[in-house]
Amino acid sequence: MHALLTLILSFAGALACGLMPAGRARQIRWVALAFASLGLLTALHCALRYGGSGVADEVDWPWIPSLGARLAFGYDGISLPLLLVTGLVAVCGVLFTWELKERANEFYAYYFALVGGVYGVFLSRDLFLLFVFYEIAVVPKYFLIAIWGGTRKDYAAMKLVLYSFAGSALVLLGLLGLYFGANASTFTLQELSQASLSAPLQYVVFPLLFVGFAVLAGMWPFHTWAPTGHVAAPTAASMLLAGVVMKLGAYGCLRVAIGLLPLGAKVWAPWVAALAVVNIVYGALVALRQTDFKFVIGYSSVSHMGFVLLGLATLTQTGLTGAVLQMFSHGVIGALLFALVGAVIYSRTHTRQLEEFHLLIARMPVIAWVFILAGLASMGLPGFSGFAAELHVLMGAWQSPWVSAGLVVLAGAGVVATFGYTLVKIHEAFFRPRVASGSSDKEGLYEPMTAAEIAGCALLLGSSLLVGLFPSLLTDKMQASLKLIVDRLNEAR
Amino acid sequence: MDGHLMLNALLPDLVVVAGLFLCLGADYILLRGRDVAERHRLISRIASWTLICGLLAGLLGSRDPQLLQLQIGDGQLVITPVRLLFKLTAFLLALVVVELIPTRPATSGHVSEQYALLLLSALGVGFLATSHHLLVSFVALELLSLCLYALTALDMGRRAGAEAALKYFAIGGLSSAFLLVGISYLYGVTGQLNLGKVSAYIHTLQHLPPLLGVAFLFLLVGVGFKLAIVPFHLWAPDVYQNAPTAVAAWIATGSKLGSTVLLLGLMLPGFDAPNAYSPVSRLLSSGLAVLALISMLVGNLGAMRQGNLKRLLAYGGVASAGYLLVGMVAFSDASRVAVLFYVLTYALASMGAFAVVALVSDQLGRDAEIDDFRGCWKSMPGIAALFLIFVLSLASIPPLSGFIGKFGLFFAALQPPPVPEEGFGGWSWLVAVALIMSVVGLYYYLKVLRAFLVTGEPALPPVRVGTNAWVVLVMLAVLVVALGLWPEPLLEWLR
Repeated sequence: MHALLTLILSFAGALACGLMPAGRARQIRWVALAFASLGLLTALHCALRYGGSGVADEVDWPWIPSLGARLAFGYDGISLPLLLVTGLVAVCGVLFTWELKERANEFYAYYFALVGGVYGVFLSRDLFLLFVFYEIAVVPKYFLIAIWGGTRKDYAAMKLVLYSFAGSALVLLGLLGLYFGANASTFTLQELSQASLSAPLQYVVFPLLFVGFAVLAGMWPFHTWAPTGHVAAPTAASMLLAGVVMKLGAYGCLRVAIGLLPLGAKVWAPWVAALAVVNIVYGALVALRQTDFKFVIGYSSVSHMGFVLLGLATLTQTGLTGAVLQMFSHGVIGALLFALVGAVIYSRTHTRQLEEFHLLIARMPVIAWVFILAGLASMGLPGFSGFAAELHVLMGAWQSPWVSAGLVVLAGAGVVATFGYTLVKIHEAFFRPRVASGSSDKEGLYEPMTAAEIAGCALLLGSSLLVGLFPSLLTDKMQASLKLIVDRLNEAR
Repeated sequence: MDGHLMLNALLPDLVVVAGLFLCLGADYILLRGRDVAERHRLISRIASWTLICGLLAGLLGSRDPQLLQLQIGDGQLVITPVRLLFKLTAFLLALVVVELIPTRPATSGHVSEQYALLLLSALGVGFLATSHHLLVSFVALELLSLCLYALTALDMGRRAGAEAALKYFAIGGLSSAFLLVGISYLYGVTGQLNLGKVSAYIHTLQHLPPLLGVAFLFLLVGVGFKLAIVPFHLWAPDVYQNAPTAVAAWIATGSKLGSTVLLLGLMLPGFDAPNAYSPVSRLLSSGLAVLALISMLVGNLGAMRQGNLKRLLAYGGVASAGYLLVGMVAFSDASRVAVLFYVLTYALASMGAFAVVALVSDQLGRDAEIDDFRGCWKSMPGIAALFLIFVLSLASIPPLSGFIGKFGLFFAALQPPPVPEEGFGGWSWLVAVALIMSVVGLYYYLKVLRAFLVTGEPALPPVRVGTNAWVVLVMLAVLVVALGLWPEPLLEWLR
């Protein structure tokens, strides 16, 4: 029952903020911060209480018997890191949007509706319910981007929402196929995971579900919504998009497609691995060519999600551990990078074009070093969470019979490319004199970080460091839950 | 038959008939020569109290178990919980329409006529919902349609309204002819007019006579027109756009409820079939599948191009009729429930959306271009928020009732039939098309919401919305949300 508080708090927050008068931006952001923090505290409390195996806080109420839907909630070791990252990003999103004045009440109403939908997906133990929350998370994104967005916001918002919705249409078809194929009487994970599904059915349904979810995870070639969407979105929304919403897709791939269709997964895993490596390499190379700072981060997200997908495609304990760890890690770091570029730096320079930046290292030294740290974390420097995650993924990929050695080598090359673009872009952004003329980046020192910004950076960077130094904090909790999936994969013939 | 029981069963209808005469009588005798606004106020009170009394009479009746399984006139009228629910929902929707009829004196000299025609057409929907007999259904449908033709043309200040009404009347008359010819062919084959007996007779036939196919074709054409199924939908955009918005709302909802019940009745042979592979179900389901496919395609793709909100809603209605048929093709109990549930939720959300249009643009004398609603979030935040709920439900976004409705349809269409040898998911291609088209649907509904909630400075000054209008709007929104969060009681009632 306890974990449900995250969900309830978010929707309550949406209602509370939405009903406050628009003029009261100050009060609204404190209310928003309170609801988001309570959600994070609940998630932390869940993490501390979780014993390391099984499903915690399980509830199972009847809902719509004739459609096989039940209100089944609970979390296990796979949901847990994602609940945490959702809580973290939700809090930091509020912190980095501290100055928002325009239509603040509506902003947080949509914001918390999205956060609530995300929590709901991670907590659902019933696929119908999971789908409901998955779709609840779709619509607020449109308004967040279309109202408060920037570059080509109408186009980006519509594209993002239609991609997500098309993905969920595939998912819905897959879910119905799964349900009727399993001859099930409910959509609960418990029942569906015990059903025996014929191999041909799994071969057909797996791609429906996997691709449907993977659209949201930014899988190539369905990734194009991600960079445009991230760039157009206001900071808090792009943090949520990169940090959490892309994880919804990856989580669905793992929990539903791989978790319930082991035979399908084995057949399709090599293809998924190939696409994942395309993600890694393509994302890194495209990021190298970008001149808009936010697009760099946008494509680096695509590249990092490639590691998640590669981890999923290994179908081994190590690789799946890496995938979940990478979901957490990229959630935290991706959100931090978007916050730095979209809010902290942009609010000072009023430009995101790399050519217009002028020796920022001397003019905003603290911010520059925070960004450099975040960049190092993003490229997987030991000590940060990204390192542990990518190491697990690559090790899993070596062990895995489904991923060919050539692909692993290519993925390794992708890591090198990540190093490359991160360092190049750090140089271009902070250490290079101005290239373009007529820049809006004025001379002189910039004002230091505000308290809210410091708090947000510390929270995100700190959690990445903590998990990087002690990955077992999270990995220990997920082993039992992942083992269930891996065992099912090994048993399936 | 017990006369007392029959009186009780027909009490809601009798109340409405009495109210109808009261409206006309009061207007012609007591209020002659009075100010138009005052006449509007009084007559609309009479009309709404009539409908409320009708609703109460029906609700009281529903407590009597005898009334819930009653056959009147040798099975011509059948009252079941589902049919009663549809009848009362029609009265409820008519009640909403009463609140939406503009009271501006400039509209036309007609006052009581509008309310009387509305009550009469509500009566038509009520009889359509309870009729189990081809001729009674036909008469009820004509009662409804004739009132709608007149209501469409009633705004005499608008040329376009008269034109739309003429179009509606011409195509409608033709479709009635098709329906009548279909009925007579069906009678020629089966010798029965009672829908249950028709179905039973068809199942005794060894071979289906070709005339039966022709009969069903004609019947589908006739009902297809009323439901705005492609290719019989051409009247809908013009009529929705040019009729007074309150009337368009009533056409989109009340008429749809009644026609859906009629369609379910006509498809009874399919539902009664021992399995989905009997010849008659195959005949009917293949016809329905084709209509479903083209309705979804034309409706959704057509709606994408509309700049007028009422036309867009009309095409959206065409698309929704397509989804409805997707649910129907399976001919199972689940599909019957799904169709009924869907049409109810569609009617509620659609009425809500039209109500917003009526309140905002009619009062300002605008033509409901989507762009007119720009900046509504600023000038009328409450209205914009309610509109968000209605439109998201039309776009079938959870947790609103439209989602549950549409999911139920797809669920029913994919459900494997009891005789499994022919494999599973015969209609999965149809559901796949429906899902793709839902994405298109979200696109144009978001375009509408964009005008309401996203952009710029208000295009229209804020409108004063009366208490009654607020009450009905909030009631509709609550129903739309509640039936999404907790649909089981209604699904149970429909079963």
